[in-house]
Parts: sequence; structure tokens; C-alpha cells
Amino acid sequence: MIKRKLILIMENKPGALVRVVGLFHQRGYNIESLHVDPVDDFSSYKFIEEKLETKFKENEISRLTIQTLVSDSLMRQILRQLNKLIDVIAVSNEETTYLKGVLLDENLL
Amino acid sequence: MHALHDEGVELIFGYPGGAALHIYDAIFRQDKINHILVRHEQGATHAADGYARATGKPGVVLVTSGPGATNAITGIATAFMDSIPMVVISGQVASHLIGTDAFQETDMIGVSRPVVKHSYTVFDAKDIPRIVKEAFYVATSGRPGPVVIDIPKDMTAPENLFDYIYPEKANIRSYNPPVNPDQNQIKRAVAEILSAKKPVIYAGGGAIASNAERELFQLNKILDAPVTNTLMGLGVYPATHERFLGMLGMHGTYQANMAMHNADLIIAIGARFDDRITNNPSKFSPGAKVIHLDVDHSSVSKIIEANIAIFGQVKNSLQAMIDLLNQSLDKYNKDDLKEWHLQIAQWKSLHGLNYEMYKDESDAHPILPQAVVQHVYNVTNGNAYVTSDVGQHQMFAAQYYHFDKPRRWINSGGLGTMGFGLPAAMGVKFAFPNEEVVCITGEGSIQMCIQELSTCLQYNLPIKIININNEALGMVKQWQDMNYGGRHSESTYQDSLPDFVKLAESYGHVGIKVEKNSDLKNALEKAFSMKDRLVFVDVYVDPAEHVYPMLVANNSLEDMWLSKDKKT
Ligand SMILES: Cc1ncc(C[n+]2csc(CCOP(=O)(O)OP(=O)(O)O)c2C)c(N)n1
Ligand SMILES: [Mg+2]
Repeated sequence: MIKRKLILIMENKPGALVRVVGLFHQRGYNIESLHVDPVDDFSSYKFIEEKLETKFKENEISRLTIQTLVSDSLMRQILRQLNKLIDVIAVSNEETTYLKGVLLDENLL
Repeated sequence: MHALHDEGVELIFGYPGGAALHIYDAIFRQDKINHILVRHEQGATHAADGYARATGKPGVVLVTSGPGATNAITGIATAFMDSIPMVVISGQVASHLIGTDAFQETDMIGVSRPVVKHSYTVFDAKDIPRIVKEAFYVATSGRPGPVVIDIPKDMTAPENLFDYIYPEKANIRSYNPPVNPDQNQIKRAVAEILSAKKPVIYAGGGAIASNAERELFQLNKILDAPVTNTLMGLGVYPATHERFLGMLGMHGTYQANMAMHNADLIIAIGARFDDRITNNPSKFSPGAKVIHLDVDHSSVSKIIEANIAIFGQVKNSLQAMIDLLNQSLDKYNKDDLKEWHLQIAQWKSLHGLNYEMYKDESDAHPILPQAVVQHVYNVTNGNAYVTSDVGQHQMFAAQYYHFDKPRRWINSGGLGTMGFGLPAAMGVKFAFPNEEVVCITGEGSIQMCIQELSTCLQYNLPIKIININNEALGMVKQWQDMNYGGRHSESTYQDSLPDFVKLAESYGHVGIKVEKNSDLKNALEKAFSMKDRLVFVDVYVDPAEHVYPMLVANNSLEDMWLSKDKKT
């Protein structure tokens, strides 16, 4: 078990945060710390805008930082489960980024 | 209502109440969508679910707030576990009352959250068309599942008018399920397949959800590999085909479990290596490589590591494999599998399904539950839609009714919901009024949604109910026999069962009681000859019978109980 940091970019919609937190609880993963910020500077997320052919507007997305204690194999499972949540746009740990329907640096195999 | 009609909805199962009254008034004042009034909201969800499983189209449910919504939860969870497309519209107290513990207020979004694919609250009536469009898109695409739309009462008030436009397409930027496979992975998979000596195709409910039966059949025309199905996958490969091994897992056939355990390559198609399949994952199929086709990233390498993962609609992934295999036919020789087939045939002859091997139908013996299923199979020519409940009868139905087509075997596999069978059969009958629909149930399960007999009368649904009556919660009792020294704690109720014949009659249907082997066939023939009546056939069977084979807990797939006193 090691401490890992996850970063999520998600739609700023009612219920979205509860779904993320609920998923940790439901699947038995532990949250060590959690931090949410609204995103107003989109410059680091150009690649998402390009991939998803969208344009982010003010107050539309938030950035969530979660610290969690997990094993490596569980890490991948958490990333995939989070990626599956419909309001989650992208999720990454230090090595992998899961962007809707696209796995960047997929190291599954 | 407009939005539902524009979405192509023909049928809604529901139950009215305060928070849904505006919607119900709109239902009254239109004639395009048929609303079916059930007798309990759980029945509505299972009926919509049965409709969805049989047709592949999403089931639609309408319930009121509070108790209406919470009654629907079991059915939503059932659909969620089996990835069934469903849209549930729940009324909610008016916006200004939310959060005040108003009459019949329940946080439906919160209560349902762990058992839905997604959910929506309507905060502005103008959003209704978009939300409905999105809900149906989410429910039916990718890995399907139930979606809840919670609508506060004021959002449906008749004076709340807006310019109605139904969107042509749902556009959700943060939702993009995979459709087509990665060609590189297909290449790797085909290379593995070409060199396998002991391959097994393991197909589950995902193959049915993706309507991949033709591709699967075509693939195996090339490969000629043995095929096993999960409980959820039955019918996606014809059960009467000589390469079919039967179901695998907890109560799978001897040959299916042995073949999986000894395989050198497992081709998993829309199946998720559930614990009822793998037994102890660390002892699962030690020599096999795994190719896993699925639409859901999170289902792959969750329990059993995949050597090759192929994401996309499994129908498309299979087609891609077929196309590539067709170019490599010179490198593949079916005869290389001869030894493997011989081995499997030997397993099959050693321990086929017990009843098929040792049947005895004289009146000196009580009726065996397996016999009931086998006779139902014969009388319906194997063509019926069969719904089931949960317990021994469900496993006997899965083992002895041989499904040659997908979407005909309709049961709650993931959640194991007793009470599913009857309302699910109603949903199927609404979808296919001219097809034979049979509910194979147990006297425990049927009592959990028995009130729907009244719905069947109202809408004239001539379903056939086959009650395999062992006067006990048989599956519980079996576990108690095997693991708890035969202490039948709270699993029997012989003296307090209703007279099911009278019960059926009191709901305006026909009841038939069967207690002797020599009456069984005639009774079933009589029941199925009454084309326009619901017939409840109450068959008293041997209460001591167990379901075998059964995996020995925490072991491999090779470790099975074959009968009460015989283990592999
Ligand atoms: C709603 C619900 N409650 C409890 C269970 C646990 N359970 C599984 S099988 C079973 C017994 C079912 O009895 P019956 O319907 O008579 O079927 P049988 O096993 O006797 O064929 C029970 C209680 C369940 N699956 N669902
Ligand atoms: Mg019973």
C-alpha cells in the first residue's frame, strides 16, 4: 500500500462530487484527503478540449485532488471506475491518464 | 410525455401518486404511449426489465416520490447488476419543498446512486427534452444500465410551458464508450488463437447486450472451439450445438468447468469473471492465457488478469477477429483440436447432468424438479421465453432448458432477486404477445411479487407459471445441508403455504396441482393448450433434491460436488 495522488477533471454539476466520493466508499477504497477547486484557467487542459472537441466555459469544470492509500493493481481499477463515471472528464495518477474513451500511456498489457 | 413519445417509447410500467399526478394526467390525455398499471413498483421495474431483456429496447418505469421511488430500488439494482437498459422516472416533491422532509420526500438520487449508471434531477422544465434524450442514450449505449430521472412536481405543472424541441442527438462530452476495437489488439488475439491447442470460448451477458450471437456463431464456424456460457449468456450460442459445453461456474456442467480449468486459451466475450464463475481466482485456470473482449474498461483485469484486452462493442470486436481470421485460414487447422474435443467428450460421458443420466419417472418416486423443467422444455419445443426467480428451480431451469436463441432466458443473475420472475414474464408477454412465456419459479420466490397476478388479469396476459414447489427455501436449505450440518434454520414453512390453485383462481386464473410423476406431462400439456389463459401449475417435487454439480468453495473449477456423496 502506498499513498497516491489522483487528479480528476470533472463537470461542475450537482451530484458529481457525491458520485466520486460514493464510489470510493462503495468499492471499499479509502480517501486520505480531498480537495476541490473550480477551474478558471483552462490553458493546461487544451489537450482535453482538443480530444473531446469541446470548449470549456467559466464555472463548467472543477479539479479534484484525492490522496488515497492503495496497491498498484487497485490503483488501475480505481482509475477505470472513476473514468466510467459520466461526469468525470479525465482522471490521472502519476503515470497514466484516462481521458474519456482514450487511455493515454495505457500500461495494461 | 412528448419527449418519451419522441424517443420511441411505446410502453411504460408504473404506479401513480401525488408527485407524479401531473404526468399521469398527461398520460390520460394522450393515446400514443401505453401505460401498464402494476400492483407494486417493484413489479413495474422487473416488468420493464423483462421487456428490455427480451427486446433489447430500454424498459421505462414511472413511479411517484417517497415510497413509490424506494419500492422501485430493488428492480433498479437488479437491472444494474445485469446491465439492462432502463429509464426510471420518479416524481419528487415540489422544488421549494426539497430538503424540508416534506410528505413523501425521499432523496431518490441519493438512495439510487450506487445502483444506477447515471441519474438526473430536473431543475428547469426546459431541460426535460435534453435530459430524456441523454438518459436514453446513457441507458442503452456502452455497457447498458438503469438511469433515474427525478422530477420535482412543479417541473411538470401544466402551467409550466416552454418551447418544446426534442434534440436529435445526445451530446455528452464526458461520456464516450468504446465502439470499435484496436486493430493491433485484434492482431495479437488472432495470433494467440492460431496457436492455441485447448481454447475455450466463454461468453456472457455482454455478448447478448451487444447482439453478437451471429458473430459468435460465425467465429466458431471457423474455430470449432468448445463454447461455454455464463448464467447470463445462455442462448447466445445454441445449447443444442455439439460444441456447446453447457453453463459454467457454481452450478455449471462438469465438462464446462473442467474445460475452463484445463484450457490453454480463454476467449472471454462480454463476461466479467464473477465469483460464481471463477471460484477461487488464485486457483482459476492455471495454464490459460486470457483474451478479454468487453465494452467496459473496468471489467477487464478486475479479477482475472487479461493477457490481451480488446475494448469496444463485442459485436464489432468479434467481426474484426473474423475478418482477420479469414485471411489466415491457411494457418488454422480445425483437426488440431481433435484431442481436446476427445478429452471433453470423455468428461461429458463421465459426469453429464445427473438427471439426464439417471432419470426415473415411476410413481414410486416423488417428482424430481429437473423432470419438471425437462417436460416444460419438451412441451414448448424449446422455443419459449423462460423467466425465472432465484433458487434451486432457477439453476434447474438454466441446466435443463436448452436455449438455442439469445434473449429467451430471462433471470436475475447478478443480484439474484426473488420475485423477479412473474413481473419479468409480464414484460416479455407485452413485448411478444404471440410467443409462449413461461415463468419457472419456486413457492418462495413467487410469493414475493404474487400481487402481479392481478395485473395479468387486467391486461389479459396468458403466461404459464410453473411453480416448482419443494415446500422450502430450497437453495438455502441445500447450503444448510452441505455446510451447516443439516440445520434448517428458518428455511421451511410446509404447513403455512397457500393453496396456490385457489390463489390463482381467486385472481381469475386457472390453477392445476400436480403431485405424481404420471400426471406431470398431461398437466403441462393441458396448461399449455389453454392459449388465452394464465395457468398456474403447482408441482410438488422432492424436497430433498439438491442442485449438482456444485463448486467446492474456495477451490478451483475442477473441484466439484457431483452428488450428495460424490466429489471430484
Ligand atoms: C429477495 C431475496 N431474498 C432472499 C434471497 C436469498 N435466497 C436465495 S435462494 C432462496 C430460496 C428461494 O426459495 P424458492 O423460491 O422456493 O426456490 P427453491 O430454491 O426452493 O427452488 C433465498 C431465500 C434472495 N435471493 N432474494
Ligand atoms: Mg422452494
